Amino acid sequence: MQEFNIVTTDNGVTAGNGVVRNGSVKRDVSKKTITVAVAGNPNSGKTTVFNALTGARQHVGNYPGVTVEKKEGSCSHRGHKINLVDLPGTYSLTAFSVEEVVARNFIVDEHTDVVVDIVDSSNLERNLYLATQLVEMNVPLVLAFNMTDIVERRGTVFDIEKLSGFFNASIVPIVGTKGRGLGKLLDAIVDTVENPRVKDEHTVHYGDEVEEELDKIKPLLASEHSLGEKYGSRWLALKLLEQDKDILDKGHSQELIDAVAKSVQHLTKVTGDEPEILVADRRYGFISGACEEAVTNSVEIRHMRSDLVDKVILNRVLAIPIFAVLMYGVFKLTFMLGDPLMGLIESMFEWLSAFITGLWPIGAESAIKSLIVDGIIGGVGGVIVFVPNIMLLFFAIAILEDSGYMARAAFIMDRVMHKIGLHGKSFIPMLIGFGCSVPAIMGTRVLENRRSRLTTILVIPLMSCGARLPIYVLLIPAFFAAKWHGLVMWLMYVIGVVLAIFCAKLLRKTLFKGETMPFVMELPPYRVPTLRGVLIHMWGRSWMYLKKAGTILLGISIILWAATSYPKPDENTLAGLSAEQAQTTALRYSIAGRVGTAMEPAVKPLGFDYRIGTALIGALAAKEVFVAQMGIVYSLGESNESSQTLREKLASNYSSLQGFCIMLFCLISAPCMATLVICKRETGSWLWALFQFCGLTALAYLVTLVVYQVGSLIIT
Amino acid sequence: MMVRAENLSASLEDYLEAIFWIAQSKGAARAKDIAKRLQVKASSVTGALHALGEKKYVNYAPYDVITLTSEGLKVAKKVVRRHQILKDFFAEVLAVDADIADEGACKLEHSIPRPIVERLVEFMEFVEVCPRGGKDWIKGFIDQCKAKTKQKCEKCMNSCLKNFRKGKQLILNEENITTVADLKPRQKGVVVRINRRGAIAKRLAEMGVGRGALVEFERVAPLGDPIDIKVKGYHLSLRKSEAADIVITHM
Repeated sequence: MQEFNIVTTDNGVTAGNGVVRNGSVKRDVSKKTITVAVAGNPNSGKTTVFNALTGARQHVGNYPGVTVEKKEGSCSHRGHKINLVDLPGTYSLTAFSVEEVVARNFIVDEHTDVVVDIVDSSNLERNLYLATQLVEMNVPLVLAFNMTDIVERRGTVFDIEKLSGFFNASIVPIVGTKGRGLGKLLDAIVDTVENPRVKDEHTVHYGDEVEEELDKIKPLLASEHSLGEKYGSRWLALKLLEQDKDILDKGHSQELIDAVAKSVQHLTKVTGDEPEILVADRRYGFISGACEEAVTNSVEIRHMRSDLVDKVILNRVLAIPIFAVLMYGVFKLTFMLGDPLMGLIESMFEWLSAFITGLWPIGAESAIKSLIVDGIIGGVGGVIVFVPNIMLLFFAIAILEDSGYMARAAFIMDRVMHKIGLHGKSFIPMLIGFGCSVPAIMGTRVLENRRSRLTTILVIPLMSCGARLPIYVLLIPAFFAAKWHGLVMWLMYVIGVVLAIFCAKLLRKTLFKGETMPFVMELPPYRVPTLRGVLIHMWGRSWMYLKKAGTILLGISIILWAATSYPKPDENTLAGLSAEQAQTTALRYSIAGRVGTAMEPAVKPLGFDYRIGTALIGALAAKEVFVAQMGIVYSLGESNESSQTLREKLASNYSSLQGFCIMLFCLISAPCMATLVICKRETGSWLWALFQFCGLTALAYLVTLVVYQVGSLIIT
Repeated sequence: MMVRAENLSASLEDYLEAIFWIAQSKGAARAKDIAKRLQVKASSVTGALHALGEKKYVNYAPYDVITLTSEGLKVAKKVVRRHQILKDFFAEVLAVDADIADEGACKLEHSIPRPIVERLVEFMEFVEVCPRGGKDWIKGFIDQCKAKTKQKCEKCMNSCLKNFRKGKQLILNEENITTVADLKPRQKGVVVRINRRGAIAKRLAEMGVGRGALVEFERVAPLGDPIDIKVKGYHLSLRKSEAADIVITHM
């Protein structure tokens, strides 16, 4: 009987054919699909190996129900098709974080044929902790000892056979970055399927006290048939003893729960430590023992080069200046390279608009034409134009991550972040927010704690992003004398940061109250990022942005276009008006205009009139649109931020205070649609995106209100 | 406390010792008993008794029993004690046979300089009490002597390490107990326990910071927090508040 295995993507498409069978039957080795789960510590080079094995044949999705990225790919070897799933990098498989639970569940639920654990052999003992847990799970295991080049250089020698015996797994030395040993790795994978090893539950011994309690619990598991079969009763008993949240949540008989509680109490009393600590210590004991026998040379391999670099980068005096320079460099580069590309795309879209317009006879009014040119091209184009900048920011983030510098940045900044109630890892995403909120929000993935992550995501838009720049550039010279320009600009950024800190603190004290997760974080050794790795990283994220933001944005752009174009005033109303004036009237007549007018009493306390209100509605799509909308409102037709006439118009119509309030409102209020969409994606629900939208808008209203009212009082 | 005896000659000390032991069993000593015990001529005994009498260590009257004065008793006891300690050292620490130990004690107690003897006595007491040594240690030595072949020190050390890691061994000197947060750069320590319960303790244990792990303090972040430590061959960063819960013995 032939057996097939399927891999389901998040779209529910099945690759391969057939149905998954439980348990093992005699396998027909010809033409078989092998499902491989690739696990490993963060920074073990797992992704590099995955990329090397799958190349372009990979795609990114999501694990169902959680905001954890799922990468799948495939390759073929010796006539077999191998489906690889890159599990999230984890230090262990206890239910500590979502990633760990996801990884564990995948191995158990998805009938993985082989688990490959990528082990950083220059960091052996800690990396073997995960391997030990995989051994406990009794899955067919292959250990890939990565970075053997570093290990060889140090003169450390592994007795592969002995280690293989200890861990009951095939061990293959590889160098992922150079592509060495990958063929042998694939061989090992296929061999493990074709000639499976004998399973041995008792590879790791947890000490007499714990073993005794395990023996007490195991018989009680007989009532939990399905779970026991799935996981193995020893493993299940162990997890219960460890008080594993995920397993406990699966529901058990009261008798079992009581017995476990008793055992836990007993162990804690006798040894002074909770069982989970005992077990963790035992695992390391097992590893120590194995290494003592099979590894020659001290296991304390020092990463000399990395340490030297850290002496400079984490130097008490130099660290922060270096950090500042690096960050400045990143932004400068992004905009230096990005702006010309932006210009290119802008021209491209202009050409496209002109071309489409040209398809209709000159002057002809057509709904479809307007829809395409103003709605679709205008709206979506306005977002696509930012893609070069976004891609460059992702590129920079990828380099920082892969090189290991990100962790250092978090290390340096944690003190400040902790005071706000956040984690050092929040700093870089917030910093990126000054460029664009989208990559910034996507960058919050590194935060393990959901509360920290949500808080960071919600306040990121307060970091004055690049799109608000045109607004400042338009308004500041209009209302303030030259000598104040720099100061006011700087003030906007500072206000944004201050509000972000305030909001973060507030959120942490109210909605996201709770103990901060431990900071405990590895400072991985520095590595030179591979170009391929960085590009794949960057492309994956950018494509996600385009796909998700693009599709939803299309819809919203069309809606907004409709709102600003319809209903149209009839011919009579427009008679005798110039083209620009006609535009203004049409705008006023449209839904957006009417809403703007209706809103006027609401925005008056802020110092706004209907014109500003209308423009703000248009700006919902993307902040830059505000400028264009203002132009239309003032009958100036096409305008951009350097339009002097628009400035003059504004100056004559509003006071400096009002001008400042406009900028303030734009700074704080809800971010562009793209941000909201990405927010939904990263938080997993529209609720949070909505909360962000309403919350920020409300905050903007409040702050502007106060500033305007108080300001008016002071000035008069 | 150690009473510094006057500079009694070696032989006079022997006499005091002999009188002491005879008096122990018989109540008082007779000259001939002393002569027999020390294997000397009666005339020598007389001479010694004179000298001891002068020093007021013995009550001596011709043809009478000899007893020790209270002073004499004190000194005798001291001499006896010293002898006993040396004998114990030879018999119990160096593990030689009892009679050879006695012979050695007799010879040694007079010929080696006092300070050495006194220091040896102190050492004996130290070995008894110090947990680093103690009975196990001596036993190890005895086994070594008996075995005649050089034992593999490695094996023994491994089992000691295992025991130590299990926390069964007493903690070294109280002064060395501190926390990771109190270490200075380049200082090392061995983890004794983690004071917290729950997520942090578990996370630390999983990252390799468990009982018996060697940690080395590397640096502090520029703003004063967090800190960077080396454990199991890699760098781990922690907040000071987390580090303060990791109790170590400083090395």
